[in-house]
Amino acid sequence: MAIITISRGSYSMGKEVAEKVAGRLGYECISREVILDASEHFKIPAIKLSRAIHDAPSILNRISGGKQKYIAYILSAFASRVEKDNIVYHGLAGHLLLTDVAHVLKVRIIADLDYRIGIVAKRDNITRNEARGLLLKDDQERRKWTKSLYKTDPADSSLYDLVININKLTKDHAVDFICQAAGYKELNTTESSLQKVKDLALACRIKATFLEHGFDVSVTSDYGNVLVYAKAGDRLMHKLQKIIKGLDGKTKGINNIEIHSGVPFPHNAV
Amino acid sequence: MEPLTTNMILVMMMIGLAVFLFIVEWVRVDVVAIIMMVTLPLLHLVTPKEAFVGFSSNAVISIIAVIIIGAGLDKTGIINKLVTPVLRIAGNSTSRVIIAISFTVACISSFMQNIGAAALFLPAIQRVSKTLKIPISRLLMPIGFSAILGGTITLVGSSPLILLNDLLVPFDLKPFGLFDVAPIGLALVASGILCFVFLGRFILPQGTTDAGDEKTGAVLEEIMEDIGNVYELHTPDDFTHYREPITVKDLRRRYMLNVIALTEPPDFKVMSPGPDLEIRSGIDIVLFGSKKNVMRMAENEGMSIKEQPEVFKNEIAESISGAVEAVVAPRSSLAGKTLSQVNLQDRFRVTPLAVFRHNETYRAKIGNLVLAVGDAVLIHGTWSRLKILQEEKILLFTTPVDVDIIRPEKAVFAAGWLSLALIMIMVFKIQLSVCLMTGALGMIITRVLSIDEAYEAVDWRTIFLLAGLIPLGIATEKTGTAAWIAHESLRLIGDVQPIVLFTVIGILSTMFTLVISNVGATVLLVPLVVNMALEAHADPRMAALIVGIATSNSFILPTHQVNALYMGPGRYKSTDFMKAGIVISLLFIVVMIGMIYLFYGI
Repeated sequence: MAIITISRGSYSMGKEVAEKVAGRLGYECISREVILDASEHFKIPAIKLSRAIHDAPSILNRISGGKQKYIAYILSAFASRVEKDNIVYHGLAGHLLLTDVAHVLKVRIIADLDYRIGIVAKRDNITRNEARGLLLKDDQERRKWTKSLYKTDPADSSLYDLVININKLTKDHAVDFICQAAGYKELNTTESSLQKVKDLALACRIKATFLEHGFDVSVTSDYGNVLVYAKAGDRLMHKLQKIIKGLDGKTKGINNIEIHSGVPFPHNAV
Repeated sequence: MEPLTTNMILVMMMIGLAVFLFIVEWVRVDVVAIIMMVTLPLLHLVTPKEAFVGFSSNAVISIIAVIIIGAGLDKTGIINKLVTPVLRIAGNSTSRVIIAISFTVACISSFMQNIGAAALFLPAIQRVSKTLKIPISRLLMPIGFSAILGGTITLVGSSPLILLNDLLVPFDLKPFGLFDVAPIGLALVASGILCFVFLGRFILPQGTTDAGDEKTGAVLEEIMEDIGNVYELHTPDDFTHYREPITVKDLRRRYMLNVIALTEPPDFKVMSPGPDLEIRSGIDIVLFGSKKNVMRMAENEGMSIKEQPEVFKNEIAESISGAVEAVVAPRSSLAGKTLSQVNLQDRFRVTPLAVFRHNETYRAKIGNLVLAVGDAVLIHGTWSRLKILQEEKILLFTTPVDVDIIRPEKAVFAAGWLSLALIMIMVFKIQLSVCLMTGALGMIITRVLSIDEAYEAVDWRTIFLLAGLIPLGIATEKTGTAAWIAHESLRLIGDVQPIVLFTVIGILSTMFTLVISNVGATVLLVPLVVNMALEAHADPRMAALIVGIATSNSFILPTHQVNALYMGPGRYKSTDFMKAGIVISLLFIVVMIGMIYLFYGI
């Protein structure tokens, strides 16, 4: 019983590997479903959410915080999905959210640039140079995006449990490795690791609620005890307290909720 | 008028740097002063001797002596003894209580450091609030403001006034006497107190009712209801079977419940257990927290809640243990540390329950909160252990723990030496620093406090701040910068009446003191305003006096140490200070200028 997240560079066969792993293990394979969930729940067109997750945020986005809101919605939907366990996820947003969860197997699939150029040039009927430009731009966008959201380089191998290079090894080899790793007892779901996922899902939902009201806060949840980290300021506190009154008692899973203003948020805050 | 020189430009840059560093707080204020002390001689703006002359200045020695005298008075408990007769006179009326305590604090603050007087009275004010059922927010701010205003009654009441005569020396101006400023100071105190009495309902938080209203005043009891209650539970015999160990800190983390006591098998009682202690099978456990969380925990973990405490009935009885509120005072060693680092559980066997800051209650993850001055911590423990904590003096207890007055037999000596010092100043007209140091020495020799206690009491931050900024003042005057700035300022202001000039000086001093310390504002402004007054043919001594007084006009923001100290226990927000502070600050300027006009005929 595990959650498998597959991070990939573009055209690295990650999607095919994910689908094969899900098929072999009998897990649910999700990617775009997360965006559709978020779109339905938060009433935002899926295309807007897709763009938010695909393109690296511009300076304007960073100032206005608009994209941040969409990303929070997507993370909230993602976290709610993975609460169910036995999931294979391949996509852009969520894999780094689950870094501290014990029963998550974090995989990265990479492939040679030349190999990828070949695939893109053939598929899109363009020259190798054009394909190369497209791929490098795509890689750069993903790197910028991940850095802006998680302050980390997605190519950093220490973020993953398993990094597989589809070059000499084939997709099927990759599937074999992942399925074997998923069976190890270290990846068994425990009560505390499941609670962690529940807490993450709750924190994401609450953060999304605050963002809907226009407040950029950081949220942690520990066994349903929610802490909202906000900037200092009396007027701000007053408004945040109002939102909390609305949340407490209505949102499932909240045991206690409290605002800590002017206090630096911990690294694992959403 | 001298033209602008390189040295003047350098001095102005140094002033700009000092002001900038005070505002951004990249380094502490005393470090800024030391930067000045070192940089000025390197730039040849002052001689090396002048750079360090501050340490031997009349002002610095006087302040050291005042601090020691204040600490001596604190040790004897003589101040606390004043509270009972004062309250007897005041009776039960809220207004009379505010007037009586405010006036008493103001008088004490007139010869002690403001913060010392404010801290001394905090437990007494809590007691008054509880006994007479007056909301503490109605008491603390007026009394805190009175402590600040009281510093304007005598020339030893506040650091700027102590500094004043030293700053007049380069101009050969006649120094001020100890009580020269008293009429103004007393008028300021009176007007401040009356303002709160008549306008309290508009400017104080929840200040909507008069004396004798029905509101409950015992804040501590309200807090306890809000945070939770004490419950005794029992763990089943198979509690530890087939599960990972649960510790005291796990219960806090998962259910926001504080373990106050538990038994270790077979029946050994542990009060205020450490965070890593495991909860075992078949034991009794006393928790503090909300009923909702206790019931949730009991259900999830299979514990049974008892109707009443049984096993720990005696240990948690009110006569044996309870909860107190303790504040992080300005010089507390706890400021800047987290509760986890302080580790009250292991060191003192007491349990922190919550932290109050800026009118907010923090219950979760309080171990990670970096404590700041003014934070109030709610702590539970046996009275004997709380007393041990109180005696460490790392926290200022606002709930009295029935601590015996430490040295009552020394009260006569303390009062005697203080009186002697005052007589030496007033009657024999001896230099202030010599008189005050005599009083301090007398207290040490008669063992009111030991020399080590005296050293410990001295706030070196204030000393270095003062000593470090004095050379900046010297440089400002010596290079002609003060005269140049004064001249240019007067060109801008134009020809004005002295009263208008003094009002402008008062407002400037008020603004400066809010962003850079009162001492910094005084050292920088006095040379400037004296030059301005000389050029405008106004009285330069009065101009300097206005700076010395107006730099105590620090009410709008809770930056003054007294306001910072009262913020937590009073559950004030910054906006509360702004509201009341604006009114008092304006009143301050009007009364100050008015009194100077009436008494000194400017």
